[in-house]
Amino acid sequence: MKRVLFTMIFLLGIGGVGYVVLGLYPIGADVPHTKLTYELLEFVRERSISRASQDIGVPNLENPDWLLRGGADYNDMCASCHLKPGKTESDLSVGLYPKPPNLSVIHTDHTHGDPSVEGQARRQFWIIKHGIKASGMPAWGPTHSDERIWAMVAFLQRLPELDPEQYQILTARGEGQHEHH
Amino acid sequence: MISTVRKQKGIIMRQIFTRVAAYGALTIFPAFVLAHEEAEHAKTAEKPKCETMSSMDHSKMKKDDPLMQAMMKKCMKTHAKQSEKESDASHKKTEVHNKEDLHKH
Repeated sequence: MKRVLFTMIFLLGIGGVGYVVLGLYPIGADVPHTKLTYELLEFVRERSISRASQDIGVPNLENPDWLLRGGADYNDMCASCHLKPGKTESDLSVGLYPKPPNLSVIHTDHTHGDPSVEGQARRQFWIIKHGIKASGMPAWGPTHSDERIWAMVAFLQRLPELDPEQYQILTARGEGQHEHH
Repeated sequence: MISTVRKQKGIIMRQIFTRVAAYGALTIFPAFVLAHEEAEHAKTAEKPKCETMSSMDHSKMKKDDPLMQAMMKKCMKTHAKQSEKESDASHKKTEVHNKEDLHKH
C-alpha cells in the first residue's frame, strides 16, 4: 500500500515538473488560470497584503487638497486601467490579466481584506506603494512620496460617488492648481 | 617594448573609465527621469470645466463636505486666474489707449 502511494506521488511530481519544463502551461494573458490556480494566487496575494499592511497608520483622508492632488494623479496614472466615471472598459482593462478592478464603482459583493474604511485605505496604500508581482500593477513607491500616495487613497474613497462632470473638475490639472511647484 | 606596455595600459584605463562613466550615468539618469512631476503635467493638462457645476444638483451638496470644498477650491482658483488675466488684458488695453491719446495731443 505504502509503495503504491509513494509511486503515485512520485509520478504526480514527475508529471508536474514535466508539464512546467515542457512549457505546456498557457502563460498568455488571454488564457485565464484554472479556478484552483486563480484562487490559490488570490489567497497568497491577500494574505501577503494583509500581513504587510497591518501596521500602517491611516491619516485623516477628509482633505480637499488631497482630493485634488490625488485626483489628478489618479487620472494620469490609474484611470487607463482602473477606469473612471462613465467609462466601463479600456484597452488595458480588457487586455490585462488578472483584470484590473474598476475602482469607479462600489464592489459590495467582493471585498478583499478588512472591510472597514481604514482597512481598505491601508490595503490601497500598500498596493499603490509596493505594486503586485506579475499583475501589471506597478510599485509607485520608488518615485512617489507617501503623502502623494495617501492623496490618491483619499481620492479613491470618494471616486465611486463621482459623476463624469465632478470627476473632470477634480482631476483636471489645468490652471489654478499647484502653481507653487 | 615599454611604450607598447604603456599604450596597452592607457587603453585599459580608458576602457575602465568609459565603463565607470557609463554605469554612473545609467544609475543617476533614471533618478531624474523616473519621478512623475506634477508641474510637467500641468503644462499640457486640460482645464476644469467649472461651468458644469451650475447644472449639478445643489440640494445634495454640503458645504462641509471635503469633495464639495475641493471642487469649489479648484473652480475658485481657476476663476480667480481668469479674472486676473482679463483684468490684466483690459489694463494693458487702457494703457495702450491712453498712450495713443497722448501721442495725438
